[in-house]
Amino acid sequence: MVTRKTPQQIKEEILSHLNVGPLSIEQLRIRVESNWSTVNTYLEELERERKVKSIISADKAKTYQRVFGDTYFDIPITDEERKRFRTLFSLIIKKYKEANETPNKTQLSKAAVRVINSPESGLSELPTVWYLYGMIPLMIADPSQDYQEEEVFEHKQKINDIIGIFIKEKQGKKTKQIQKEQHIEYNDRLYQLADEFLDLIESSEWNKQEIFEKLNEFFIACPIDEEFKEVFLFTDRFISTVRKLSYFDKLETHRTKILLTFDALWKYIATYKFYKTISLKKNVSKNLLNLYLGNPLAVRKDCVVEALSDLYSVYWSKIDGKEIKMSPEVQKVREIMQDWTGED
Amino acid sequence: MIKDSFLDTNVIINYINYQKERSSEIVNRCYLYVINKKGLFIVCHAVIRELYNIIAKLAVIHKEVLAKIENENYSLKDSKNLSKRDVPFAEKLYLTHKDPDNKSIRETFASQRDIFEIGIERFLKEKVDKKVIPLEQISIELVNALREIITNYADCQILSSALQYQKNEEIFLFVTADGKDLSPNGYDFLKEQFGINNPKEENKFPELLNLMFTKI
Repeated sequence: MVTRKTPQQIKEEILSHLNVGPLSIEQLRIRVESNWSTVNTYLEELERERKVKSIISADKAKTYQRVFGDTYFDIPITDEERKRFRTLFSLIIKKYKEANETPNKTQLSKAAVRVINSPESGLSELPTVWYLYGMIPLMIADPSQDYQEEEVFEHKQKINDIIGIFIKEKQGKKTKQIQKEQHIEYNDRLYQLADEFLDLIESSEWNKQEIFEKLNEFFIACPIDEEFKEVFLFTDRFISTVRKLSYFDKLETHRTKILLTFDALWKYIATYKFYKTISLKKNVSKNLLNLYLGNPLAVRKDCVVEALSDLYSVYWSKIDGKEIKMSPEVQKVREIMQDWTGED
Repeated sequence: MIKDSFLDTNVIINYINYQKERSSEIVNRCYLYVINKKGLFIVCHAVIRELYNIIAKLAVIHKEVLAKIENENYSLKDSKNLSKRDVPFAEKLYLTHKDPDNKSIRETFASQRDIFEIGIERFLKEKVDKKVIPLEQISIELVNALREIITNYADCQILSSALQYQKNEEIFLFVTADGKDLSPNGYDFLKEQFGINNPKEENKFPELLNLMFTKI
């Protein structure tokens, strides 16, 4: 006798299939051996319960994605990874409590990264990614959660030692300082330069030459990526607009606009960095990655375009006939390039 | 009667590249043409887009040369970021500035880009009288028809814009410094071939003024 599956069973089956990655209604229908309308009805219910969300795939088909809400951009992790992350977060919070402290989000996530990146912890398989403020665990570290030790780590003592050293090292340091130190520790030049540039821009005394030197370094460190051409294009546009504006007006008067534009640019670059690290670590196909990150990347791209256009309009309004002096070195470069018309 | 000028990208770039007593004949001619302006200067949006692409290209050339200065084993010739035409310029820049201890080179390159870009933007702001044919209005049919004769897609879009704008205007000059497709012979061939390929189309062609072949 064939027993009919209960609605709960079908919903659980749907969720279990979506653990692996997003699927269309048609793909789910085949996997749960049900008809299109039934699967569609349960997906709508699951969407109302915020357990799944619909996204549009590259071929414009309605596709569903599992919502866990505990990883960045809902990128799936295995139950094993989830358990290990929660255990690690619990150990860190406990260790902080021993020192009569409660970690904030940065302390918790940076301590977790330190542990994961220490080979002796045995946790190097846990995914970490580069994002807005540096390297973070793929699972969102939330100090207000009641994490429990869900498994006993083989190298628990070593892990506790690493956490202890981290807490001591970072004691009394501000969040921003902890982030900066991490950018140096894991040697990402672009993040370090972003920190240094922001320090210069936020400083009460502006040193134009230093700002330009930093931007020149940023220009060199910024990658040219065939797949993400805009990363370099937008960076160059930002740098050149700031520089050109300085010929016609006092840069300091545009501090807020420069900061806002850089912020939009950085959010785009950081999402790109997230994409690149996750594609290396999780071995996820490009199509799948685009389902998760396509929309955030597009939104952030739109924001940079808008911010850049805003900054550019300020520069455009300031252009006048003022004479621009050229050093002999620049004249020499111009001479070499004089027959270059840039056409293909 | 003074005719208006529909400017090709290379005329503007040559004008920007001008340096007193140091420039080549063609750069001098383009410069003189612009400063002795007669009639209106018309620029289409395909040319404006091309100008911004060229700005981006110069930044890539500089970045590649700086990469080579930092690491002499880096190959400019094999770089995926440079077009074949850009490689000799990049190599020449490298040979002249290859001293890795010269920290000011980044700033020199950046300043050159500033001057180049400001030159273009000043030109667009102050010298151009009409900006015509927005990109979305470029006729795909016309571009495709031109592509049967001229291979470069960007050139076809610019020419198509010129032809579209010419439709309702007095004959103007199409001013270029192109030595290949738009040489006087090339232009005659283009008009003839276009007529053969599209007998039903009634397109007025602007008058060619190729500064590479015409002394002013």
